[in-house]
Amino acid sequence: MLQQALTSSIELLINKVLSLDTSEIDLNKLEQKTLTIVLSELNFPISLSVYNNKVIVSGLTERANCTINTSIKTLLALKAEQQLTELIKQDKLDLTGDIKVAQQFVQLAENLNIDWQSELAIHIGDMPTHKLMQVGKQVADKLQFASKQIKADASEYIVHEKRLVVTRSQIEQFNQQVSQISNQVDDISTRIETLAKGLSNT
Amino acid sequence: MSDKQLNQSSDVQKTTSDNTTHFGYKTIDKEDKVSMVAGVFHSVAKQYDVMNDLMSFGVHRLWKRFTIDASGVRPGNNVLDLAGGTGDLTAKFSQLVGKTGNVVLADINSSMLNVGRDKLRDKGLVQNIKYVQANAQYLPFEDNTFDIVTIAFGLRNVTDKDMALRSIYRVLKPGGRLLVLEFSKPEHELLNKAYDFYSFNILPKMGELVAKDGESYQYLAESIRMHPDQETLKTMMDDAGFEQTSYKNLTGGVVALHKGYKF
Repeated sequence: MLQQALTSSIELLINKVLSLDTSEIDLNKLEQKTLTIVLSELNFPISLSVYNNKVIVSGLTERANCTINTSIKTLLALKAEQQLTELIKQDKLDLTGDIKVAQQFVQLAENLNIDWQSELAIHIGDMPTHKLMQVGKQVADKLQFASKQIKADASEYIVHEKRLVVTRSQIEQFNQQVSQISNQVDDISTRIETLAKGLSNT
Repeated sequence: MSDKQLNQSSDVQKTTSDNTTHFGYKTIDKEDKVSMVAGVFHSVAKQYDVMNDLMSFGVHRLWKRFTIDASGVRPGNNVLDLAGGTGDLTAKFSQLVGKTGNVVLADINSSMLNVGRDKLRDKGLVQNIKYVQANAQYLPFEDNTFDIVTIAFGLRNVTDKDMALRSIYRVLKPGGRLLVLEFSKPEHELLNKAYDFYSFNILPKMGELVAKDGESYQYLAESIRMHPDQETLKTMMDDAGFEQTSYKNLTGGVVALHKGYKF
């Protein structure tokens, strides 16, 4: 019943987010329309239907006006209508049915305008919200910086440093050469010892 | 289940005849069951939803969602939510069938029906829902009326289950389906024992504490044990005429969803 637990949570979340939207989104265009999303990471579908300005989330596939087969990563990249067409061209997304329904759902997500600060202030007060937002912004900035730094270091490593790094075969060859020299030194030392003994006997 | 309860259960199964039936572990006249079950539900109606959440730890919502997902409901469908009680399934079906569809919330008990009607109206669900007080054995609908019939946690309270299944079969359209969500027999012995302990020791006390009615919840536990197990119910559905019958155990068989089609 993981599917039911997930759809139930998504439904709650979507409708809560919609209720917070300051621009009062009109879902009339999507009334009685269903978008089914089949994610490669999950083994069950998720259907979003609109009824009376509310989104119903279920596992029903029989009623889909549009079905999207994709992955979570691609779905997160799906922020604009243009991108939808682009992703289909790239074969990252398979769409069957009425594309307008998918576009309208994407548009809906895009047009959400939520004043998170005001919402949070209702629950914890103005000052704590302000402080929290400041800390949040600082953390976000630092994370962004760290992410950029990691990317830069990684590319530096790939482009420049990787070339300079000794390969496994080079190490093996070096080890072989060291062994050869060591053997040669042993041979010479034996010969010197033999010669030294010969000299002392004469 | 204790030995005493087991003996009671088997005794009841042996002694029931054409004129008698079960009311929990008691053997009673068939004529009396409707009023006795009605007594239970008149008593618990107002606290029904709270108790459901408490007793199942909220999992009953997932069982019902599973039923909706398995129903294959479409916009425009006619749905009968039989023994629909406080209307959990009706609420979802009403949204999914849309303005062109229709949902009938039917229950034999007027108190449950009233609570359900108030709850759905408070949610703003009024357009496509009808309320009918009806006995599942004698459904007051024409033949071939519904695309989907559901009965969730209701069949075990019906006096003559075979008759109810035949009645449901009659009102289903060809191609229509019945979904029976009902308590059943847990698949594993350990779970069975834990479930028995919970049902007979904790459940009645919770009923006493919250709904001030321990007896009704004692009946609930007993009626669950007297209800046919998964395979028996499947056979009963086959006998009533349903085809492609199947069932899916939920939460280790504590609950099972049976499904059958009329072709």
